[in-house]
Amino acid sequence: MRVVSGATRRRFGLLMGAGLVAPLVVRAHDGPHLVEAGIEGFAFVPCRLEIRAGDTVRWTNHDIAPHTATDKAGGWDTGRIAKGESSDVTYDAPGTYAVFCRFHPNMIAEVVVEPA
Amino acid sequence: MIRQTMIAVALAAATPAFAQDQMNDLQIAHTAYTAGQLDIRYAHLALAVSENDAVRAFAETMIRDHTAVNDAAVALITELNVTPEDNDLSRALVEGAAAKRAEFMALSGNEFDCAYAANELGYHQVVNQTVEGKFIPWATVEPLKALLSDALVTFKVHEGHAEDMVAGLQCAS
Repeated sequence: MRVVSGATRRRFGLLMGAGLVAPLVVRAHDGPHLVEAGIEGFAFVPCRLEIRAGDTVRWTNHDIAPHTATDKAGGWDTGRIAKGESSDVTYDAPGTYAVFCRFHPNMIAEVVVEPA
Repeated sequence: MIRQTMIAVALAAATPAFAQDQMNDLQIAHTAYTAGQLDIRYAHLALAVSENDAVRAFAETMIRDHTAVNDAAVALITELNVTPEDNDLSRALVEGAAAKRAEFMALSGNEFDCAYAANELGYHQVVNQTVEGKFIPWATVEPLKALLSDALVTFKVHEGHAEDMVAGLQCAS
């Protein structure tokens, strides 16, 4: 797993489903995709992402409070994301990743990475 | 639930009469900022005294989140080029918090944890009622109203965390 970038101010690039409450699924795979995931109202939106190996998720915080997106197994961590900032994580290995915010552990999500 | 309600009532009684008279934008900004700073001070005290993991985690969250909210408030004040206005409520909050910290400093162990947790629950309940029911409706400057609304989302989560903390400590009623 690669944290491609630290906190950035790129908010709206290559939008692919931000704002969806239902699980976000990237099915067609004609190469790596950039998938937007929001953090808003102390929740991950969507709370379940289904992507392909090689895809990158851009975690963007819309809350005034800082958050993280962190692998419960310890494999990756975005680090602190302030309001309006983003952090990109590229998922190379298939698997299911339980995600939480280190600052507010009640916030949880799941990233399912399918083979490319 | 009954015990939590009693705690809230007791703390509301101990908290200065919160915003009885309508306040202007500059007074609201000053009071909201002050309330955040006071909660940060409570949290620093908790980190200095408590050895309870849940209490310490809560205190760290208070410092992190209230600092973020107050940083946003400073940014807004700077952008608008205004000066927040000290007022009776801000001063009463500061005096009340000083007295409360003096109480806390005489405590240790579980007694401190329970007193801190109960105070955090009551404090957030009173602040949230005031922000939602008074400050947001009273605010006339849209960016201030928006900031208060954003902050309220955070403060309500804190209130929920405080409820969990109180329940987890199993304090004597």
